[in-house]
Amino acid sequence: MTNMNLYSRSDKIFVWINMFLIFLFTISTLYPFIYIAAVSFSSGSAASAGTVVYKPIGFTLAAYERVLAEPLFWTSYRNTFIYTFGGTFVSLLIIIPGAYALSRPQLYGRRFWNLMVAFTMWFNAGLIPFFLNMRDLGLMDSYFGLIIAFACNAFNIILLRNFFEAIPSSFEEAARMDGANEFQVLWKVFVPLSKPAIATITLFCMVARWNGFFWAMVLLRDEDKIPLQVYLRQVIAELQDDEEFGASLIEATYSFETVTAAIMVCSIIPVLIFYPFIQKYFNKGIMLGGVKE
Amino acid sequence: MSAPRDITGDAPSKVARITEHLRNEWQLYVMLLPTIIWFIVFLYKPMYGLQIAFKDYSIFRGVANSPWVGLEHFHTLFGSDQFLRAIKNTIIISFLSLCFGFPMPIILALMFNEITHQLFKKTAQTIVYLPHFISTVIIAGIVMTAFSPSAGIVNTFIQWLGFEPIYFLIKPEWFRPIFIGSGIWQEAGFSSIVFLAAIAGVSPSLYESAVVDGASRWQMMWKITLPSILPTIIIMLIIRIGNLLEVGFELIILLYQPSTYETGDVINTLIYRQGLQGAQYDLAAAAGLFNAVVAFVLVMTANTISKRYSRTSLW
Amino acid sequence: MSGVQLNGIIKAYGAVQVVHGIDLEVNEKEFVVLVGPSGCGKSTTLRMIAGLEEISGGELTIDERVMNRVSPKDRDVAMVFQNYALYPHLNVADNMAFGLRIRKESKADIDAAVKEVAGILGLEDYLERRPADLSGGQRQRVAMGRAIVRRPKVFLFDEPLSNLDAKLRTQMRAEIKRLHKRLGVTSIYVTHDQVEAMTLADRIVVMNDGRIEQVGTPMELFLNPANSFVAGFLGAPPMNQVKAVITGGDTSPVASFKGQKLKLPALAGLQNAEGREVIVGIRPEYADVVTQPEDGSVSCELDLVETLGSEALLHMSLGGDPFVIRTDTLGRMADLDAVNGFTVKPDLIKVFDADTGVALSGQTRVA
Repeated sequence: MTNMNLYSRSDKIFVWINMFLIFLFTISTLYPFIYIAAVSFSSGSAASAGTVVYKPIGFTLAAYERVLAEPLFWTSYRNTFIYTFGGTFVSLLIIIPGAYALSRPQLYGRRFWNLMVAFTMWFNAGLIPFFLNMRDLGLMDSYFGLIIAFACNAFNIILLRNFFEAIPSSFEEAARMDGANEFQVLWKVFVPLSKPAIATITLFCMVARWNGFFWAMVLLRDEDKIPLQVYLRQVIAELQDDEEFGASLIEATYSFETVTAAIMVCSIIPVLIFYPFIQKYFNKGIMLGGVKE
Repeated sequence: MSAPRDITGDAPSKVARITEHLRNEWQLYVMLLPTIIWFIVFLYKPMYGLQIAFKDYSIFRGVANSPWVGLEHFHTLFGSDQFLRAIKNTIIISFLSLCFGFPMPIILALMFNEITHQLFKKTAQTIVYLPHFISTVIIAGIVMTAFSPSAGIVNTFIQWLGFEPIYFLIKPEWFRPIFIGSGIWQEAGFSSIVFLAAIAGVSPSLYESAVVDGASRWQMMWKITLPSILPTIIIMLIIRIGNLLEVGFELIILLYQPSTYETGDVINTLIYRQGLQGAQYDLAAAAGLFNAVVAFVLVMTANTISKRYSRTSLW
Repeated sequence: MSGVQLNGIIKAYGAVQVVHGIDLEVNEKEFVVLVGPSGCGKSTTLRMIAGLEEISGGELTIDERVMNRVSPKDRDVAMVFQNYALYPHLNVADNMAFGLRIRKESKADIDAAVKEVAGILGLEDYLERRPADLSGGQRQRVAMGRAIVRRPKVFLFDEPLSNLDAKLRTQMRAEIKRLHKRLGVTSIYVTHDQVEAMTLADRIVVMNDGRIEQVGTPMELFLNPANSFVAGFLGAPPMNQVKAVITGGDTSPVASFKGQKLKLPALAGLQNAEGREVIVGIRPEYADVVTQPEDGSVSCELDLVETLGSEALLHMSLGGDPFVIRTDTLGRMADLDAVNGFTVKPDLIKVFDADTGVALSGQTRVA
């Protein structure tokens, strides 16, 4: 019953308590965002003094002006787009056919190939070997390197493979009888049938790429190639030491806090814009990647 | 398929069968190839390079030419206070994270399930899923701003209450709570989706039957909802245990300071500092191997235990 | 007095009304069956009695208490669901004990009650088993056991036999009837199967399109259907209904259809009713077959013979429209192919108004 009207009195109270607790949790989730946004629009002196609570004090766009004036900001923004869209595209190119092949019962050594993929979820050689490998392959400090090295992962492949496996074999058989080869079966039959799963994987890839920073930081030396998150980290790390002791020397219009807050807001905006649209996909997606009993 | 032939006396040779199969199905292998090559090049080849954990590695000599030193690196590690401290921190943080972080999504899912007002529920869900999509760098940035000694809202609040401001991020005793709390804030909402999906799979007639029998929603939560999603909980727990040693080291790297190493330095951050930044590749590789082997053992154990006691397992 | 009263019960979803004012009184210990085609509102009505659906209008009284706003858990009713709703993680004993444990009864009382009911239903050997390890019939019995063990004021059944195969259904039907005789609890049973309705009910409530068409004992409804819908619903195969026009015949009215004539009973509504349009209802079992035209017989073409063993169904074509006759096969098998018509006693014919479908008055039969 989703209709509360026939609930007993104690049950109604129970629902209200739950709503209240969820409300508190929701507010506490939202608050940090509101706080950072408020800081970003506040004057530097107000922010450093810690007077900003939930709305801007001394409203100013100075922090944003400062941030947007920095060419490296724009470069890194552009790079993030390159890594996100380029990376996701390459990922799909590898994952979709691979998952399809792994799902076909007629594949020789199927169990072996699948084990090979799954094993990587349980055992990982580690940071150093991966790093040295990239060096050996000459993929350090390059767009291509960063894109290709993280193009694939076992989780996404297995998720899509399971989805393909669940599609009744009669679809493939009918297409084969109509004369289609495997590429055509995949492209014309299975991909259209798997839109939710593919959308989910695309989503996972894009989010991971957009937010990715660690390996970008480790593998890239050239400042022109760094993505937004690495830029943000750089700003925080480099300016931080300045601020520790020099709080009183800050110009009044912007400060370390407002500038970093402004960069944060700028990098969250695209996520917020696309967020409502992707909502329905990850709901289904988790169910797909979830438990089979 | 070729025309039927007299098969008495001979079976098609294995080679012939394979050739036939490849002729018909070569496209599948073409599709499989990029994936397999990728796995070999980026995930399996490093496993070959893992042998430097047992070698005295130098970049100039390369892997093949570096001499074997057996378990010397492991002796060094286990004799090193830093490494032992890192192990201790990893276990403690992981354990605390499990205790506080694992139940949260489940509790959230159960609470969401009891809310009947659809608009409220959907809006709240949308909001609590959001932090998952925010990058670690931003999370760290928010934490640093909020807990900043001079400018942070937390200290403003503390001073308002009449106390002295605390420089949270350089104090070792505060590192773990802040780190784990941020982790929960980021992931609890999104992680509840799996459980919500599991709850949605429970037949409504079970609840209808229970309500006619006189059960309150609270009783139904304990006697119907929870038992029904127990398999899901167990599987998520197994996955969680398998990742016990992961602890989100990216966030730690962003938040920690030399002064908080004593509570915050974990195995992976040590590897990062000494291995990548300090170029002690062989030693760090040994630490990483230790990490990977322990993780592997953990997952296998957890899975076996689960298979025996509750009929659910990961495969 | 654990009676159930429905006064003008209405159910609406937004602007759409699906149940239009149900008035029904169920007496204590009575077994009432709500029967009707899919979508007629019978399940909705049952769920309103249970408290699983909100009542949009009218009043529901159970045991002299108005229950409209009362939560299901406080109504003291028990329900057997179509898909049994057995808790998969509990064994039979725990499933049956569920309701009692909720009410915090003592362990000793619970065990005794479960044992007793298990005995009644023949489930003693299955108490430790889980639902997944039970057959359909056993699961059904556990579902009933769970309801019985609570000793409620009213039992509600929502199509409990639909998921069973035919043979099992017949068996369980008899068991339910036996149980009701033994336990004597007021019961309201929903089904779309008119055979279940006929065999189980003290009284049947025929529903259609959110309304009650007729209420009565099975034989009442069978012998004296109030309208053509009820007439066509009860009885298998269903009553043949032929559109006809009244033509003269002095005191004995005659129905004309497809160029044929048939003598009708002398009802008040048929006197001086030349030209009146009616529906003539003839039950398949009341038509007597003939192999050559007789005085008063109706001719029709034999289409298909279905032999059921001791009986046969003859599917005839009456001027293009289907007409079914049911007849014994004993000694007659050879003649069946030659059947080309039938006669029927006027007293056994039901006449309905062609526009409203309402049965004409004066046709009440007792046997």
